[in-house]
Amino acid sequence: MNTAAYPILELVGLRKHYGDQEVLKGIDLRVRPGELVCVIGPSGSGKSSMLRCCNRLEECSGGQIVVDGTDLAAPGVNLNQVRQKIGMVFQQFNLYPHLNVLGNVTLALRKVQGYSRAKAQEKALAALARVGLADKADAWPAALSGGQQQRVGIARAIALEPRIVLFDEPTSALDPELVGSVLQVMQELRESGMTMLVVTHEMAFARAVADRVVFMDGGVIVEQGPPDAIFGAPRELRTQAFLQRVCS
Amino acid sequence: MDIQQLLFTFANAEVAARYWPDIAMGMRITLELGAWVTVSGLILGVGLALLRALQWRPLTLLIVCFADIMRALPPLVVIIMFYFAFPYIELSMSAFTATWLALSLVLAAYAEESLWGGIRAVSKGQSEAARASGLSWWQCMTSVILPQASRIALPGLTNRVIAVAKNTALGSVVALSEILNNAQSASSNAGNPTPLVLGALAYLLIFIPVVLLGRWLEARMAWRR
Repeated sequence: MNTAAYPILELVGLRKHYGDQEVLKGIDLRVRPGELVCVIGPSGSGKSSMLRCCNRLEECSGGQIVVDGTDLAAPGVNLNQVRQKIGMVFQQFNLYPHLNVLGNVTLALRKVQGYSRAKAQEKALAALARVGLADKADAWPAALSGGQQQRVGIARAIALEPRIVLFDEPTSALDPELVGSVLQVMQELRESGMTMLVVTHEMAFARAVADRVVFMDGGVIVEQGPPDAIFGAPRELRTQAFLQRVCS
Repeated sequence: MDIQQLLFTFANAEVAARYWPDIAMGMRITLELGAWVTVSGLILGVGLALLRALQWRPLTLLIVCFADIMRALPPLVVIIMFYFAFPYIELSMSAFTATWLALSLVLAAYAEESLWGGIRAVSKGQSEAARASGLSWWQCMTSVILPQASRIALPGLTNRVIAVAKNTALGSVVALSEILNNAQSASSNAGNPTPLVLGALAYLLIFIPVVLLGRWLEARMAWRR
């Protein structure tokens, strides 16, 4: 299989509306293996909705969502099966407060992927080591800093060995001094070849680490390209206006 | 104040010795009934809360009606209905069964409401995180939502379990020989209220440990840090 030409995630004409308000007006996007794509844009531009449609946490109104060759929007698709291939990291971390760190990371390994307790713990510890938190396996989520909680969130996602990880504003709920540690883990993930789709407000991160930056506004992709092109020489007026607002 | 008279009337050793076996037998019935009511009421309550979480409107409507009616009716009325009215529709049942059924339904109604409140209080992000990692609805419910919901519901739930289990005393109305009924018959036979005092002691003996168990559970289930 020629993986280079085969997108891991492909959105085709993705539409979504709440009542008669259209929030996604036909999104076409391909994410290739090993790519880190950052989605930027003003709030209300539809970027979070688009991301949440990618694993059908939100239902789309039309179009295709193809993950690793499977159309998620097709009827009769085994959603739980496909979702294992799509990790997700949330703005509010959403760690399970009744489970310790190890329990958080092993839950889906055991329940969804059917690993034994011992094997699941081994995989979970490996994932925790990748985010630098192997020593926190026995800690309770409430005892961790926001940055540590989000890194556990990342470990929980990558432990399932997904084909792609979706990040929904992963640093927006963090104190400024904790943002760096999470971004660093994300950069290391990218270097290890993980495919990532990241909705973010961290322009410096997008510029430094992304392979491609997508600018969304008003439910459409206005412009996309390499970070230097988007940040250095945006072609569209809306992109220029947005970047002027957030980067000045 | 006549201490001697007070003791003779309410703490008469001779009467106590004669009627203690009756009270002890009542204790057995109360314990058995209380345990059955707690188990079946909680199981039914959890089941109803889960069904309600499916958010299928007709089912939700039925559950809400059931819960509201059962919480509005005095449990005594439900017991009397089962015991005295149901025989007319060819549904006779023993005093034990009638009391058990009535109190189980009442407890189920309250347990469903507490748990449903707990389920709604668990943040939406919890089920999103669970479902996004491929857990099914059922796995998400049992592994992520219910453990958290039951912690939130626990204080209300333990109080309700205690309250409903104490309502086993209402079985005396349909001649169930639990503590209160036996104590009442004993005191009228003896012409002395000492058996009622014994009955009160018997209730304390059963329910103080239950109250302590509830406290222990609440302390144990508090969020760990």
